[in-house]
Amino acid sequence: MAEKNSPEITIFYCINSFKQPEEPLLEGCNIKYIKMPCSSMTKDVYLLRAFEAGADAVLVLACPEENCRYAEGGKRARKRIQWVRAILDQIGMDGQKRLFIYNTAAAGEKAVKGIIKDILSGLKHIKESP
Amino acid sequence: MITGEQKPLQEILGIIRPYKNLLILGCGTCVKTCFAGGEDEVAVMASAVRLAYKKDGRKIDIRELTIERQCENEFIQESAGEAARSDAVLSLACGAGVQAMAKRFKDIPILPGVNTTFIGIQETEGIFTEECSGCGDCELAVFGGICPVTRCAKRLMNGPCGGSQDGKCEIDPGTDCAWAQIIDRLARLGQMDNLKKIIPPKNWNTSLSGGPRKLVREDHMI
Amino acid sequence: MKDLTLSRLHQALSQKRFAVTAECGPPRGANREVIAKKLELLRDVVDAVNVTDNQTAIVRMSSIAASAQLVEAGLEPVMQMVVRDRNRIAIQSDIMGAYALGVRNILCLTGDHQKFGSQPDAANVFDIDSINLIKTVRDMRDEGKDMSGYELDVAPRMFIGAAANPFADPFEYRILRLAKKIEAGADFIQTQCIYNMDRFREWMKRAVDAGLADKVYILAGVTPLKSSGMARYMNNNVAGIDVPEDIINRLDSFPKEKQVEEGLKMCMEDISVLREMEGVSGIHIMAIEWEAIVERIVKGIRT
Repeated sequence: MAEKNSPEITIFYCINSFKQPEEPLLEGCNIKYIKMPCSSMTKDVYLLRAFEAGADAVLVLACPEENCRYAEGGKRARKRIQWVRAILDQIGMDGQKRLFIYNTAAAGEKAVKGIIKDILSGLKHIKESP
Repeated sequence: MITGEQKPLQEILGIIRPYKNLLILGCGTCVKTCFAGGEDEVAVMASAVRLAYKKDGRKIDIRELTIERQCENEFIQESAGEAARSDAVLSLACGAGVQAMAKRFKDIPILPGVNTTFIGIQETEGIFTEECSGCGDCELAVFGGICPVTRCAKRLMNGPCGGSQDGKCEIDPGTDCAWAQIIDRLARLGQMDNLKKIIPPKNWNTSLSGGPRKLVREDHMI
Repeated sequence: MKDLTLSRLHQALSQKRFAVTAECGPPRGANREVIAKKLELLRDVVDAVNVTDNQTAIVRMSSIAASAQLVEAGLEPVMQMVVRDRNRIAIQSDIMGAYALGVRNILCLTGDHQKFGSQPDAANVFDIDSINLIKTVRDMRDEGKDMSGYELDVAPRMFIGAAANPFADPFEYRILRLAKKIEAGADFIQTQCIYNMDRFREWMKRAVDAGLADKVYILAGVTPLKSSGMARYMNNNVAGIDVPEDIINRLDSFPKEKQVEEGLKMCMEDISVLREMEGVSGIHIMAIEWEAIVERIVKGIRT
């Protein structure tokens, strides 16, 4: 496997729950942002393709489940996360350590930064992404 | 509709192992409805297989295609080009679709990616239930529209058995006792007389028990 | 009543004696000695002995073989036959074979689903149900014909039994089902073991009111409880058994080593009640793997 300088994180975010920052969020990792009009647009295949494209971990940012302006977005996103985690486990890529969902109303950058730091420290315990 | 569930990924990886050039073929009818083999499921399967191969440092060339129905030649022939370019086809259709493909493409291995289970319906969001076992001699009129051949775990013609408790079948607390339901329904329809006489043993000759069946409609053969 | 078959159980019941039957489970292997020992514990103690048929779908020596062994030893077996494992061809074949080996009583059952058994991967059969089995035996006996109408050289003149479960649902329909079994040809009934006496009394009353107790001999099932643990287990895990709370509590009120005696005492009390109940012609003692206790229970009745 290729040597990597910094870990790759892909963030799928609902535009109602997060505003993409102008400056890099965190030193020492590459973050790719993909915006969605609602977290219900989280599709299994998009999450898997993010890993195919080289992501070490994927984070989905969604509104709190009771506050989705389209009613069910957060609930649907959570189900997709569970499903794809199971697929990752079957492949032998630890789903619990690679795929995450965070429900937040107007997530501050600070909170998301904290989550990413936790994700990165979790990643240290497993092999690099294929 | 016919329902099925995808085989576990590890099993599929074992099945496709000998092949370097794979077509994953979905079906847009029954298996799409039960989330086993439609276009979306084909895309996820392809991605998962690629990731698995990448992790193991192995190579595979995968193409994805979904046709309307894999049980009809009219649609099967749309896949001819892609199939011809492949070492094998991983079909996510039901067992009928896999075999229809195999009949058409005799020189290409057609591999099943789905475990076909039953003829049934979608009761509610995400829940599918078995309703019909194709016995070939339908007696639903006698039983108030509830099939004891399929939905009674013991296929009783004169049920229920002694294991029926609180309207549930002895095999599983989540399974309704079909006979409790039949009795309720016939009572509701005022047709309890249907159960007064002893219903004779079923003729199994018209079912799979009599051998694999064939339907011939000469009126539609030119 | 129908012509007497050669069944000794039939004779006992038709003479209005309070009949007693017990149960004997074949071994999980080919060992004749297991049956030989069990049958000695029951010799001259009861009117007939049920031989179970792969009970709870656990693979055991066949009921027809073990029944034949009882006949050989001079006892009266009631061969149990479930429809789970045999199609109609094998069923009719076994009925003729059993009769030829001296078996005179058959209990027609559905059978527990194979999911509960030792080999849940097996395909089940359920070609015909227990009611059609009863009718098949009756037609073979009374018309001397098999299911295809073929005339049998010798008709198997079996005394035909069926099971009844007053504790299964739907309660109202149970009496209709009993009537159907009688119409199909049942001569005698053995019920599931009774702990909820009120519910049984209610069922019995309905059977009597419907005139069914005049058409069929009803033997009430009893199983002595060895402990409150056993009572709980049976209530929660065995389909169609109802053990009321107060029975479990009564056993719980005794220290563990005393519970066996209390269980036996309760069993004897139940039998006294059943003896006096209208429509009850006898009892069926199902002392699971405890054949030794049957003699003591029977002695308790006779006094």
